[in-house]
Amino acid sequence: MDKFESILDESISALQAGVPIEEILAEAPDYAQELRPLLYAAMVLADPNPVLVPKERKEALRTQYLAQAAALPAVKPTFNDKMRAVLHIIRRRLTKGALLNDLVTVGLTVILTLIMTALIVSFAARDSIPGDLLYSVKRISETIRLSLTFDDQQRAELENTLNHERITEIEQLIKLDRAAVVHFKGVLDTKGENLWVVEGLTVFLPEDDFIVQGDPQEGDIVDVVGSLRTNNILIADTIIKESNRP
Amino acid sequence: MADEPSLLERIKRHDQQALAEVHDRYFNQIYHYINYRLGDSDTAADLAGEVFLALIKALKKGKPPKTSLSGWLYAVARNLTADHIRQKVTTVPLIEDLEADTPSLTDQIYIAQLTPTLKQCILELTDEQQHVIALRFGQGLSLADTAELMDKSVGAVKALQHRALASLARLMPLEVQQDG
Repeated sequence: MDKFESILDESISALQAGVPIEEILAEAPDYAQELRPLLYAAMVLADPNPVLVPKERKEALRTQYLAQAAALPAVKPTFNDKMRAVLHIIRRRLTKGALLNDLVTVGLTVILTLIMTALIVSFAARDSIPGDLLYSVKRISETIRLSLTFDDQQRAELENTLNHERITEIEQLIKLDRAAVVHFKGVLDTKGENLWVVEGLTVFLPEDDFIVQGDPQEGDIVDVVGSLRTNNILIADTIIKESNRP
Repeated sequence: MADEPSLLERIKRHDQQALAEVHDRYFNQIYHYINYRLGDSDTAADLAGEVFLALIKALKKGKPPKTSLSGWLYAVARNLTADHIRQKVTTVPLIEDLEADTPSLTDQIYIAQLTPTLKQCILELTDEQQHVIALRFGQGLSLADTAELMDKSVGAVKALQHRALASLARLMPLEVQQDG
């Protein structure tokens, strides 16, 4: 019976597509006798030109319907409605394309925010001196600038500029009478027993806990780490010879 | 145009625009369905109007269609049509115009013999059989769409369609069947 029902349905589809009944019956000769009256019935049952409701009548019924619809009380969304709406939005955002789009947007936003923050903070830190809150930011941004400078000549010029910046910072500290740990490079101008002059700055050498490396001589470039005290005395912790007189 | 599930959600919130869209989208289909079964365009228009007013009443009572809006509308149309047929048994001129199919001469003769007979026989079918005939042949719906509207399986609709056509064939005068 299932097979006949399937053949009947296929035959009806063919009939609706305009295939003549005799051709349809020829395709299924074993069932032709049983199919024939059913297909004729199906053909008669088809409604190729349905009657349309008059426009004015339809409009009148629509007006009556809309008048009753307008009298319906307003419905406030329930908690479940709101949850469904939220879930609907989430479901729409959970497609592969939307997820990728969201990830790219969030990623770009985070990167741009970080870049903007870094730029603003490094700008604010540009005039800081040792002991200031943002001084470490200033040194980090200088290190980044140095690491991004690949040309030897430009790198040497930048290092020279930064060395001068260190000396200027120490002069500012002295002017403000502030104590701080300082680190700078410069030419050893004068080498006394307990007092050296490096790049115009007087550096006292303590008797204990003091390290000198490389036996620097006057005219050599030295790297100095020391403590600047509030009485404007700079006491060296380490002095390392960087290179001979240029 | 909104899809049916979102339209249903909106009419549950009494959205006026959605309610107007429901009428614009489904009125003709419902009217054709009823007219096919009754063969009375005036009564069909009245009953189609009642189907949509029934939707407003259901919304007012807080009992809107749950899953399928079109299924709900067709179910109401089916009940109203069946009630009307029960109250007033009429002659049912199912098909007035068969020219569009342009059948062969033999078919035309056969159809000419069958048409008035079938018009009488259709009312002898069960309400469910008339419903499936109206959806499949009056509305021209596929088996799958008919099954969805009737909330039945495709196999069940296929069997129902077979029984309906077989009943019509059996109800036809003997000489008409033998002529084939």
